[in-house]
Amino acid sequence: MGFLEIRNLCKSFDTVSVINDFSFELVEQTLCCLVGPNGAGKTTTMDLITGRQKPTSGRILFCDDDITGLDEHEIARRGIGRKFQVPAVFRDLKVRQNLEVAYSRSTNPLKNFFRFREPFFAEKLEEILALTGLGNRLNVEAGILSHGETQWLEIGMVLMQNPRLLLLDEPVAGMTESEIEKTAEIFNRLKQTNTLVVVEHDMAFVRQIADMVTVMHMGSLLAHGSIGDIEANERVREVYLGETEDA
Amino acid sequence: MNLYHKVSAQWLAYLVFYAVLAMVPLVVSDNFLLNQLSTYGVFAMLALSVSLCWGFGGILNLGQGIPFGLGAYGMAMTMQMQSQDESNPMPPFMLNNSLDHLPLFWVPFGNTTVGIVLALVVPTLFCAIFGGLMFRARVSGPFFAIMTLAMLSAWYTLILDIQPYTNGVNGITPPAALKLGELVVDPYSPGAYWLVLGLLIAATVVAKLMTLSRFGLVVQSIRNDAERVRFLGYNVAGYETAIYTVSGLFAAVAGCCWVILTQYVSPAQFDTTFSLSIVIWAGIGGRMSLMGAILGAFLIQGAQSYLGDAFLNTWLLILGGFFILVVRFLPKGLIGLVESALGRISIGSKKGGNGVSAPRLYPQPGE
Amino acid sequence: MAVGSFFTSFDLSAFINALILGISIASIWLIAALGLTIIYGAVGVINMAHGEFIMLGAYSSYMLQSFLGLPFLLCVPASFLIVVAVGLILERGLIRYLYKRPLDTLLATFGVSLVLMQGVRLIFGSDPKYLAVPPIFSSNIQFAFVNISVFRVVVLLVTIAVVVALWALFYRTRFGVQVRAVMQDKEMAASFGVNADRVYMLTFALGAGLAGLAGSLFGVLNIVLPTMGAAYVVQAFLVVVVGGGTLAGSVAAGGATGELQSIFAYFTNDTFARFVLFVMIVVFLRIRPQGLFAPSAKRR
Repeated sequence: MGFLEIRNLCKSFDTVSVINDFSFELVEQTLCCLVGPNGAGKTTTMDLITGRQKPTSGRILFCDDDITGLDEHEIARRGIGRKFQVPAVFRDLKVRQNLEVAYSRSTNPLKNFFRFREPFFAEKLEEILALTGLGNRLNVEAGILSHGETQWLEIGMVLMQNPRLLLLDEPVAGMTESEIEKTAEIFNRLKQTNTLVVVEHDMAFVRQIADMVTVMHMGSLLAHGSIGDIEANERVREVYLGETEDA
Repeated sequence: MNLYHKVSAQWLAYLVFYAVLAMVPLVVSDNFLLNQLSTYGVFAMLALSVSLCWGFGGILNLGQGIPFGLGAYGMAMTMQMQSQDESNPMPPFMLNNSLDHLPLFWVPFGNTTVGIVLALVVPTLFCAIFGGLMFRARVSGPFFAIMTLAMLSAWYTLILDIQPYTNGVNGITPPAALKLGELVVDPYSPGAYWLVLGLLIAATVVAKLMTLSRFGLVVQSIRNDAERVRFLGYNVAGYETAIYTVSGLFAAVAGCCWVILTQYVSPAQFDTTFSLSIVIWAGIGGRMSLMGAILGAFLIQGAQSYLGDAFLNTWLLILGGFFILVVRFLPKGLIGLVESALGRISIGSKKGGNGVSAPRLYPQPGE
Repeated sequence: MAVGSFFTSFDLSAFINALILGISIASIWLIAALGLTIIYGAVGVINMAHGEFIMLGAYSSYMLQSFLGLPFLLCVPASFLIVVAVGLILERGLIRYLYKRPLDTLLATFGVSLVLMQGVRLIFGSDPKYLAVPPIFSSNIQFAFVNISVFRVVVLLVTIAVVVALWALFYRTRFGVQVRAVMQDKEMAASFGVNADRVYMLTFALGAGLAGLAGSLFGVLNIVLPTMGAAYVVQAFLVVVVGGGTLAGSVAAGGATGELQSIFAYFTNDTFARFVLFVMIVVFLRIRPQGLFAPSAKRR
C-alpha cells in the first residue's frame, strides 16, 4: 500500500511514445528526486500525475484512490501541489494576493462571491513567510520579483495549498549558489512533514536533499534507490551520469 | 502608496460621483434631457458589465448585446401585454402578421411579475449555458470573443426571422409606460431617473464587492494564468462561467431599464456595432476600472448625442481612430492617466508627510 | 420555419439544386475566409478589419471601373494589389506593435474596421454602388434540372485556383518554408536566419490582398456598400474557428458549413438555417475546441 503508486503508465503523442510502461511507488514523508536526461519524460510524468495530460494507458493511485483521468483541479484538491518548470505566478497581483489565492480552502465560485477573509489564513501566511523569507516583499507586484524570489513565491504558493504531495519541476533552475543553499534548507525542513518529488538536473543539489532517487530514461524506469545506489549503478552511469555530469 | 489603489478612496470616489448624479433631477427640469441622461445610466451599466467580464476576468465579450437584447425584449413583451386585455388579447403586429392566437411563449408575459422575472432569468440562463459550454471546452481569449460575436449574429438573424412573434425589424413599441401595480413608471420623470441610477449604484456596489472578494481575486488570477489557477484546486471554467453570467445579468437589467426609458426595442440591440461600442466605452474609459468604464460610457455617448446625427459619421471615424490610439498607447484607458497622475502626487505627498489632502483635490479617482 | 415541409414535399431536383448551391455558398465563405486563415494561422492575429478589407476590395474595383474604365477582369487583380498595400501600411503602422497582446490586436483591428467603414462612407456616401461585369457572367447555366448563375461558377473556380496557389506557396516555395518555420517556433526560425518580422509583414499583406480579391467578386454577387464587410466576416471567422486556422481546415470547414447551411435552408429558410448552423458550431467546439485540423498542441 503506497502513498503514490504509478502502474504501467504509458503516454504517446500520435505515434511517438513518451512514457513507456513506467511504474513507480513513493513512500510517505520522503523526498524523491526524479532525474534523467532531457526527453526522458520527467515533466510528462508530472503532467500525467497532476491531470494536465491524460495517460494513454496505466493507472495512477494516490492514497489508494484512483486519480487517473481526473481534472487538474480535482487532483489538486486531493492534496497534490505542483510547481512548474517555468515559474508561474500571477504577475499583476501582489505577492500577498498570490499567496491568498493559493490558500484554496474554499473553491466554490458562488460561495466566494462575497467572501473576504479566510479563517486561519494569517497563521498559514506567517508560516510560509518564515520558510520562504518573502516577508518584506508582501506588497509588491509579483511581476517585479527577482528570478529566485519568483521561484520561492511559487514554492510558497504550493505550500499554501497544504498539499500532502508536492511535485516540483526544476525548482533551483536559474538560482544563484546561495539561493540554492537556501532552497535545499527549505526542502530538508519540508520533508519532515511532507512528501516531495523533485525533478532536478543539478546532481550536487540532488545529493543535498534526496532520500531516494528515481532515474528515468526513454520514458521508462531505469533505476530507483538511494543516492549511493544510483551513483554506483553501471547502467545509470552509462546513460545519464556519464553524459551530463558537467552539464 | 498610490491613492488610486486605495480601496477607501475608491469607495469615496463612488460616493461623491453618485451623490452628484443623484442630485441632477433637482437641477435639471427638462424632462427630455433627464430621460436622455437616464439612458446614459443604462449604457454605464453595460460598460460596467463588460469591464467586470473583460477587465477583471480577461474574457473579452463582443456579444454583450445578447443578454441586453433578451432582457429588453422580455421587458418590452411585458409592457406590451399590459396594454392587452380580454377583448383584445393580442398585440396589433401579430394580427398584421395574421397570427390567430397568442404564441405560447408570450403567455407568461401577461403577468407583469413573471414577465420581469423572465426578462432577467432567460438572458442569465443563456449566459450560464453558453458560457458553461465554451469555458468547459477551454475556449478562451480571441476564440471566445469570436464565438460571442457569432452567437450575437445568430440571435440577430433569429429575431429578425420570426417576424410574427417579434415584429421583425420593426421591433416592439409598447404603447404605454410600465405599470408596477398602481405605480406608473413615467420614462420622462425623475422617478425613472432615480430608478435607473439606483440600479446602477446597486450594480456598481455588487461588482466592486465581487472584485474585492476572494472570487474577484481568483478571477484576476485566471486572467493572469488560468493554468496555474487550475493546479491550485479551482475549477476555472466554473469561475469564468460565473463572472460571464453575472456580467450577463447586469446587461439584462440594463436591457429592462432601457425599454422602460425608451418604450422601444428592435433587433438593432443585437447588432454587432452596438455590442462593439460597449467594448469601446469600457476600453477608452479604462477596462481595468469599473469607474473608468462607467465614465467612458457617459463621455462617449454624451459626446455622440451632443454632436448629433449630422456629425455621426465623422464622430464614429474619430472614435475609431481614438480607440486605436488608446489600445496602442493606453491599454488602461483614460482612467490610467488619472492613475499615473495620482501616482506622482502620492509620491510627492509622502515626502511632505501629507497624504490626506489629495482626495479633496482630486475627487475623481475610482477603481 | 416550415420544418414539416420535409415530410410533405421532398423534391429531389430541388434538393440537388440546394446541394449545388451549397457548394457555391461554401466557395464564397471559403474565399472570404482564406485571407483571415493565413493571417490567423501564420501571424496569430484575429483581424477584425477583414470584412472592411473585403469592402475596400469592392470599392477599389468600383473606382477603377467607373473612373478609369478598367475592364472587370483587370479590376480583380488590381483590387488585390490595392488592398495588399493597405494591409502593408496597417501592419507596419500598427499591428506589429501588438503581436504580444492578442486580445489587443483584435481590438485595434476593430478600431481600424470602424475607421475604414466610416471613411468610405464619408467619401462615397451610404448609397449602394454596382459593379458591371461582362454579359456572359450575368447569365445562368442550366444542366438538366440544375440552374446556377455563371458568376457563381466563376467564384468557385477562382476559389479553387486561389486555394491551389496558396497551397503551392506554403508547401512548395522557400517563402512557404519560412512561414511554416515561424509558425512552429519564432525564436528558433530567427536563429536559422529567417526574418520573422518580414514574414509576418508579407503574410499579413497577402491575407489582406486576398480579402480585396474576394471583395471585388462579392461586389458583383451583391451590391457595394460601406457595411458590406459585416455580412461576410462572421461566416469567415466561423470557418477559421471550425477549421482550426490551417488551410486544409478552412477548406474542409468552409465546405461543411456551406453545405449544411444550404441543406438547412432547403428544409427551413436562410436565416433560420444560419441560426441552426451557429448553434451546431457552438456544440461542435464543445467537443473539439481545437477545430478540425489544429496543429498539434504545443507543450510548455
